Amino acid sequence: MKQKAPCLDALLGLVAGLGLIALYAPLLATGALSFFQIVRVRGTLGFAPFSLDPYVALLANGEILAALSTSLVVATVSSLLALVLALMFAFYFVSARRGLGIAMQIMVFLPFLLPPIITGLSLLIAFREIDLGRGLVTIIIAHVVFIVPVVYRTVLVRLQLLGSSLTEASLDLGASRVQTLRYVILPQLRPALISGVLLAFAISFDETLITLFVAGSQTTLPIRLWAMMRVGFVPEINALATLIFLCTAAITFAIGLMQRAGERV
Amino acid sequence: MGVMNTPLRRDRQDLLRAGLGHALNLGLPLLFVVIPILSFVVVSFWTLQDGQILLIPTLANYRAFFTEGSYLSVYLQTVGLSLQVTLVNVALSTAIALFIFRRTPRMRFLILMSFMLPLFMSYIIKVYSIRSILGQRGLLNEAMLGLGLIDQPIEALLFSRTAIFIALAVLYLPYAILPIYLALDRIPANYLAACADLGATPLQALRDVVLPLARPGIAAGAVFTFILTFGDFVTPQMVGGTQGFTFGRIVFSQFGLALNWPLGSALAVILLATTLLAVALAGLSLRREHVR
Repeated sequence: MKQKAPCLDALLGLVAGLGLIALYAPLLATGALSFFQIVRVRGTLGFAPFSLDPYVALLANGEILAALSTSLVVATVSSLLALVLALMFAFYFVSARRGLGIAMQIMVFLPFLLPPIITGLSLLIAFREIDLGRGLVTIIIAHVVFIVPVVYRTVLVRLQLLGSSLTEASLDLGASRVQTLRYVILPQLRPALISGVLLAFAISFDETLITLFVAGSQTTLPIRLWAMMRVGFVPEINALATLIFLCTAAITFAIGLMQRAGERV
Repeated sequence: MGVMNTPLRRDRQDLLRAGLGHALNLGLPLLFVVIPILSFVVVSFWTLQDGQILLIPTLANYRAFFTEGSYLSVYLQTVGLSLQVTLVNVALSTAIALFIFRRTPRMRFLILMSFMLPLFMSYIIKVYSIRSILGQRGLLNEAMLGLGLIDQPIEALLFSRTAIFIALAVLYLPYAILPIYLALDRIPANYLAACADLGATPLQALRDVVLPLARPGIAAGAVFTFILTFGDFVTPQMVGGTQGFTFGRIVFSQFGLALNWPLGSALAVILLATTLLAVALAGLSLRREHVR
């Protein structure tokens, strides 16, 4: 495979190049349109000169900003809740009887493996059964259900790599269980916890298909944008999307570098 | 401290703690995952009469799928569309994963990241952006007009089955690249060295060693793509218009405008069964390979 094969490489390179173009076209179009708006003069299409107007308008768009702050609250609360739950599940998996651990794990993974539409409507029906009105609480519950598997998976992998010898050594040296957790296990898990939470935050921030089922009038950014786009488009959306993409790109690279650093240890 | 903790008492404490652990770790997933899933399956057997859900068991909702309206034909069309996207994306992703795999280790990470990065762009914005690229007066048509490739804007680009196909393929491409690349990454380097030493050409090594070893990744990528495209109801709605009525949209509309939860649940059960079937088929294809 690592032998030289110019024809094969050229072909694969062509597909990869076209793939990158297709993947980045929507991103680049959004970014470009946030600086150069399309104007139509008597049917012909042209670009307006460079302007930051959409970014200025964004700051004044209360509707978008309200949804943005809802999204930030939802993503923060649900990724932190997911962190606590994921830690609990991971410790349970390594300590409980194998059968019970696997039963727990299957249940935890289900919402991530099923199509989001199934997770969304089953939660909608369950909330209705217990008369829980659609709102912030239902959105957060749904997001936690959806992102716990992500954090759980990253934490568990790290926990299993640790093995039991560190814990045993700590207990032998007279540390209590709480001290062992606080001073031995958690510091070892830190890279996994951070990357898991960041990933969970990003997923929650962008979650659309499940949220559509469980959101009420106070809703998250993707749902607000979806509703806005059905009636028309405002250039602020391009500006916002560009800003969000730049932030998430930075965070993604940070996660990637952190995981690589973690692997090297 | 030790004086008060008689063995009996400690046993009871341990028992209590273990009980609490089981209750939390098994109870929470049961409550928030399993029971909701069971409840929508149960609702699919209920009766809807004059807009009211009655607790009378019936199979009418399932019968409706086979006999009423266009449910069955839309279902089959959607399965066909998802299979098409899956096939194309798996083929493209295999090529892309191979391309990354053949770079130097330092480059691999960078290239892989650049293929994964678009996942972190807002899903809804990407759909909208694709829509504005494909539109009748969209960027693609305007660009082709400008270059003189076409005289008239191609109308069928947006609000058609083709539009849904393109949008789904672009949106879900990274989900197939990642598992296939990870499978390739797991192939020990000395296998490849052995291939070369034994005189295999790169194409032979690819066909007889690399691709067979990448099969689990390819199967996983196919399953991810199928599940995600089959269940997506927002993309078809935004780029498909009235033409793009997919099964997921029908299910969603039963919980919105149409407001028929029992029918929607029954259709969702069928959607769920279809995805489970896809997973089972992928698993089966891998197992057969082992036996042989």
